[in-house]
Amino acid sequence: MIWLRLPTVVILAAVVLLPVGVVVYQSVLDEPFFSPAARLSLASYAFVFGEPDFTRAFVTSIILAAGMTAIAVPLGGLLAFLVVRTDLPAKRVIEPILLVPIVLSPIVIAFGYVVAVGPVGFASLAVKGLIGFVPWNLYSLTSLIIIAGLTHVPHVYLFSSASLRKLNLELEEQARILGAAPWRVALTISLPLVWPALVYSGVLIFFLGFELFGLPLVIGDPANVLVLTTYLFKLTNILGTPSYQLMAVVVVAIALVTLPLVYFQRHLLRVAERYVTVGGRGGQSGPLRLGRWRWLALAGIVLWLVIVIGLPLAGVILRAFVSRWGEGINPFDTLTLQNFRDLAEHPNLLGSILNTFLLATVGAAASVAAYGLIALVTHRWRSRFVAMVDYLVLLPRSLPGLVAGLAFLWVFLFVPYLGVLRSSLVGIWLAYSVVWLAFGLRLISASLSQIAPELEEAARIAGAGPARVVRDVTVPLIRFGLVSSWLLCFMIFVREYSTGVYLQGPGTEVLGALIVSLFGGGSLELVAALSVVNVALVAAGLVLALRLGVRM
Amino acid sequence: MKRFALASALLFGMLASASAQGVPPGYPADYQAIISAAEQEGSVAVYSATDSASADLLLKDFRALYPKLQIRYYDLNSTEIYNRYLSETAANAETADVLWSGSMDLQLKLVADGHALTHHSPESAKMPKWAVYEDRAWGTTFEPLVIAYNKRLFPADAVPASHGDLLRLLKERPQLLAGGKLTSYDPEKSGFGFLLMTQDEKYFPQFWELAAAFGRGTGRFYPSSGTMIERITSGEHLLGFNVIGSYVVLRQKKDADLGLVYPSDYVLVMSRVAFIPKNAKRPNAAKLFMDYLLSGRAQKLMANQSMLFALRDDVEGPYSAGALSKELGSRLKPIPVDMSLLTALAPAKRLAMMRKWQETARAQ
Repeated sequence: MIWLRLPTVVILAAVVLLPVGVVVYQSVLDEPFFSPAARLSLASYAFVFGEPDFTRAFVTSIILAAGMTAIAVPLGGLLAFLVVRTDLPAKRVIEPILLVPIVLSPIVIAFGYVVAVGPVGFASLAVKGLIGFVPWNLYSLTSLIIIAGLTHVPHVYLFSSASLRKLNLELEEQARILGAAPWRVALTISLPLVWPALVYSGVLIFFLGFELFGLPLVIGDPANVLVLTTYLFKLTNILGTPSYQLMAVVVVAIALVTLPLVYFQRHLLRVAERYVTVGGRGGQSGPLRLGRWRWLALAGIVLWLVIVIGLPLAGVILRAFVSRWGEGINPFDTLTLQNFRDLAEHPNLLGSILNTFLLATVGAAASVAAYGLIALVTHRWRSRFVAMVDYLVLLPRSLPGLVAGLAFLWVFLFVPYLGVLRSSLVGIWLAYSVVWLAFGLRLISASLSQIAPELEEAARIAGAGPARVVRDVTVPLIRFGLVSSWLLCFMIFVREYSTGVYLQGPGTEVLGALIVSLFGGGSLELVAALSVVNVALVAAGLVLALRLGVRM
Repeated sequence: MKRFALASALLFGMLASASAQGVPPGYPADYQAIISAAEQEGSVAVYSATDSASADLLLKDFRALYPKLQIRYYDLNSTEIYNRYLSETAANAETADVLWSGSMDLQLKLVADGHALTHHSPESAKMPKWAVYEDRAWGTTFEPLVIAYNKRLFPADAVPASHGDLLRLLKERPQLLAGGKLTSYDPEKSGFGFLLMTQDEKYFPQFWELAAAFGRGTGRFYPSSGTMIERITSGEHLLGFNVIGSYVVLRQKKDADLGLVYPSDYVLVMSRVAFIPKNAKRPNAAKLFMDYLLSGRAQKLMANQSMLFALRDDVEGPYSAGALSKELGSRLKPIPVDMSLLTALAPAKRLAMMRKWQETARAQ
């Protein structure tokens, strides 16, 4: 395997360190790195760290990240347990709906919330009509944390459910026979067994909290809630011309957060063998019976779905079908299909849908293949390189969208021989894959960590070569991890935009870019119409996939 | 649909006239050399902050005029245009042939740093002087900054007619816009917003009083006109100050509740600035596109269908400098396309002004 291991790690290091490295290098210069006048200088650090806004934004980002992790991880784990291991009603319907929040671009979700529960949102006005005032305030740090937390439940769900599907059911059955209530089974048996999946997703969600942009901009900014990304947005403008060195300093600050996080993650997962649950034996049996908890669980999930999908999606759908909305307007008087007609005339519509579809299906599959390769070559490899890989994979996530696009443009422009990728879908695909590396890869590693070594050893003893073991034993055992990884990539690639912004051109436009362009042009009704089309297409695809027998 | 029908009719008409590839009327005879060279180059790449939907009519018409030229139109925001162009140029990689953006100061900064190609456009003579910078950069549109308001919810008798009126309103009837009912550009997040602030300071001596009035819990600030308009029509805000007029007019087609006022004391006018970079790979095609943007033909489209507000005085139509001049005359204050734009970028002054804004208008 060594002939495969080293090259994989070297390529991984290159694709991660090039974009991150160019930004770190930029942070210690006083001019753009490509300018002949650039000199080494720490002045940018002095400037940024001296800004009271930076400290304020950093602290708020930590609060936001911690808050959303505290909400998303327990709820996501619980949701996975309910859907995968119990006789929860209406599972087949709920499963595809759960994933909708991942497809929608955060800026669209935020806009949907404004139309639904903003100061003059339709739900707010309805409640105001009943009790005379609006009992909530969308624009606050609290709502930001709650919305961010709830909309990231699906990410955790994907991680935990992939793990849970491979668990040995006997353990839970035995506990149940001994008289433990469902919640006790979940807490004392299932939870410890999906620990790696929860740790991985927890670390990723926390880190994602630093990178949220659309939600804080729309929901936090009116209440003067400043986070690192919105601060970064201001920094691009503070000197009039974009000052890359100042932006780079903020990125370095975010990157430094990864170090303790990964250390913490490694600490929590120190003894990997402890989580081995896919052993030589173990059969399938029926789901855990929830009894009287069944309907309560369903009610809880429906409530969550209403808040996290129902409200914003209703807002977006409403906006797509009306000519105007707000205080003093009965939406039923302004119903129209004009927005969809206008959208259909947009010159870039078809091309964008086609490119996005390509990236999200074929592209996502290619990404999963690459992630799978990385996961497999580092699996059971006792080497310091594995620790390095652990730190590496989280690094690209420290590039917020505003900077990531620029960093990849620089890599393709200034690294010899990469120029050909600059305005191609392959370049965009590469950028997406690197930025979402941690998520896709960790879904697979979490599955891998459950597999007992004896299965592979048995195959080796029976005479199979390493490649055959991987093909016939390991890959089939982690198929849920692979499928989840592909699903996640599929949905993220549908909505992703900023990472590829500088790599796009005529012929390589994607839907995310079209949405942002429409936003910029002020056509929010078209943004809404396009989002509705987007969700409908993805939903149709998911239903079709489920019909064809794809198991999530 | 109507726009589409008009465009098709126009397109068809253009295709039908066989003289399409000849020298445009009134151009020197040697212009044919540029056209031939451009056709050799085959295409033109445009980095533009005008969204593709708004530019679509112009692009179709340009294609009809020069069918042998492909347009590769990059729909970007103004910061992206600046970053992308600068990075590509530094790497000696292929970049745009024309840069077209409403961030006037960023465009002029690139021109000042020596990035613009000199081009003696046959159209320059027909342009107002303030819109042409040394045959290197051109203003292309004439977009007024207006007061937009919600007709449904904002009392008609209180609608301010001028900047002075707005200040008076905020002082005498503060309850009308209390609780964040007024919206405007955020100079902290939008370079364009900052540019407007420098202009208002120039023409309106009481500007900082106005900013202070915004600061008493009245103002909410966004980085784009589109967001402002959406929130005004919904009633979340009632009145928008310094909203780009072309966006308002476009939205009025769909929403009769959106009102528009050209301030009677002075009206700021912004213009989307275009220039050809020196390292353009297809300079001749770029010249054709530039001259087209400035031509009577393109300006007529802007004035009548694209609603981008034509800049040339000799072009008629409801959305044109001519139509606005009839109403407002010398009270129109176009932001000149020249080096005075760079004063907004001088670091020390800029930081000081930014702080002042934070302290007065942001204080809540």
